[in-house]
Amino acid sequence: MLTYILRRLAQSALVLLIVMIITFSLPYFQNHGILAPAYVVLGTHATPANVAHWGAQNGMNHPYLVRFWNYLFQILAHGNLGQSYKQNLSVWQLIGLYVPRTIWLALSSFILTILIAIPLGIIQANKRNTTFDYAATGTAFILYAMPSFLLCMLALNLFSFHTLHLPASPPSGVSPWAMFTDPKGFILPVGCLTLLSVAGLSRFMRGTVLDVLVQDYIRTAKAKGCSSRRVLYRHAFRNALGPIVIIFGLSIPGLLGGALIVESVFNYGGLGIQTVAAAQNLDIPIVLGITLLVALLTLLGNIFADVTLGLVNPRIRIEGAAK
Amino acid sequence: MSTVILDGEAAVPVVSAVVPMWKQRLKIFMSNKLAIVSLAYLVLLTLACYIVPWIHPVNETNQALTFSVKWNAAPSAAHWLGTDSNGFDELGRILYGGEYSLTLGFLSGLITIFFGTVYGMVSGFFGGFVDTVMMRLIDALLSIPYLFLLITLIAIFNRSTTFLICIIGLTLWWGNARIIRGDALLIRNLEYAQAANAMGANKWHIIRRHVFPNSISNIVTVATFSVADAILFLSALGFLGLGIEAPQTDWGTMLQAGTTQMQNGYWWEIYPVAAVFILVVVAINYIGDALRDAFEVRLLER
Repeated sequence: MLTYILRRLAQSALVLLIVMIITFSLPYFQNHGILAPAYVVLGTHATPANVAHWGAQNGMNHPYLVRFWNYLFQILAHGNLGQSYKQNLSVWQLIGLYVPRTIWLALSSFILTILIAIPLGIIQANKRNTTFDYAATGTAFILYAMPSFLLCMLALNLFSFHTLHLPASPPSGVSPWAMFTDPKGFILPVGCLTLLSVAGLSRFMRGTVLDVLVQDYIRTAKAKGCSSRRVLYRHAFRNALGPIVIIFGLSIPGLLGGALIVESVFNYGGLGIQTVAAAQNLDIPIVLGITLLVALLTLLGNIFADVTLGLVNPRIRIEGAAK
Repeated sequence: MSTVILDGEAAVPVVSAVVPMWKQRLKIFMSNKLAIVSLAYLVLLTLACYIVPWIHPVNETNQALTFSVKWNAAPSAAHWLGTDSNGFDELGRILYGGEYSLTLGFLSGLITIFFGTVYGMVSGFFGGFVDTVMMRLIDALLSIPYLFLLITLIAIFNRSTTFLICIIGLTLWWGNARIIRGDALLIRNLEYAQAANAMGANKWHIIRRHVFPNSISNIVTVATFSVADAILFLSALGFLGLGIEAPQTDWGTMLQAGTTQMQNGYWWEIYPVAAVFILVVVAINYIGDALRDAFEVRLLER
């Protein structure tokens, strides 16, 4: 198992390097190349001399490979992700400010999603083609089909302006502990993100459990005279758990992407809003740093999913694990 | 030479076997009433989006067409769904925006499925080192959150319609490639594919005649869901102000504009377009579900 995890980590390092090359190379293709941010920082009427000076200051004059090597070396040797072009902050300072807030948002709705989606999927698959199933599927379909910002805006309009009068945005202080001191402000963002994830996953849950229910071993279990409860929880649930674990491991980018929209609607100062702003301002170091960080989280999520899958489902023998 | 002979031999039994299967599949699809309604809705809406603006000019982009521009006017006989904050006819805008949303959705869905299929098939079928390299690349691409990447790409490059189609199409196929690769990997090891291999069939022949036809159910299903996803992603871009540029529009941009007017009580600027949009995505998903059932071998009568 340890060899397997180590090998996966090594592969992930390789994948991270590919991500780094992709994101690092992208700015070269824009209008004005890598000097384009100069026109955002200095203004659109910047003289060529000023732009050149800015470029020299930020080490833009070196060839591609030298720049990439410098970037990589700074990260590996000093953990330095660079300095924002636009704000007087290093990328790490910015991440330190905003990542905890996004993690809190994503994590709390992630837990709620698990608590809602798994039982819902099982109940739906078990009571398939009943009114409850149709109602749940219909609701999930409509929520899934709705652009996430529309759901957020409608929830905002309904629960903040018309009834309940919940705060329209969470407290703007940077500390995520505000979630416990002033939970009211978090109901709408967390609720919306949870609803969006449940809608995305419940169809999948139902499908997975259904797939398992048509398998031969379920028929065998029924033929042996197992109670339907036992068939469902001992045979179907455990076999459906594999795909479910995988999808949770893979849902990290989706959660962060969804958090992006939720953050913009509820004006929740987090990673998402910062990324959008940085991308629009061509503040490349921030975009690169955040992309790398999120990619790292995703890869760790994948490894976690695969390892837990091996533990959950004894039929899966992870390659190389026995060695 | 051997491929020609194999092709000729395979043609005879395949024709007699496939036709009833195709009919059975159609029957299963037609038995799903929701899917039929969804298909009818999509076809009618698409026709309306492309044809109505020609036969009934509804002032979708040109304010000068009306002598007295009315902003945010409530629905009336002249404007069935009212007008928006620029004085454009809302119904006309929905149909006009639909041209963009539907075209972008379908075209990028097609691009998605093409690349996903080719890449996934090659990776899964050849396996081994090729598969490892190709899948690690997909891992890298998938670990970048999709929306973040799109925003970066669109901020960096300009956003023409063609560019949006390419960007959405070329960034949505990674997940599909992974699904289809799983299928190819599975089928490659099944008896009929191994038998073909043992008889000396060439690799491309096995991919074309055995792997591809047997993973078609996943390909078709994934393709439908990709179209829905593409439409949804386009709308998210519209919300972030990165969608189609004015005076052209798409449903996402319209929804965004509508939500800003919600507190003023201009319901006609949001609910009609929201309903049309949601129903389109729901319809595509129902069709996808019905197609999956139709291609599900276990449901076929044998």
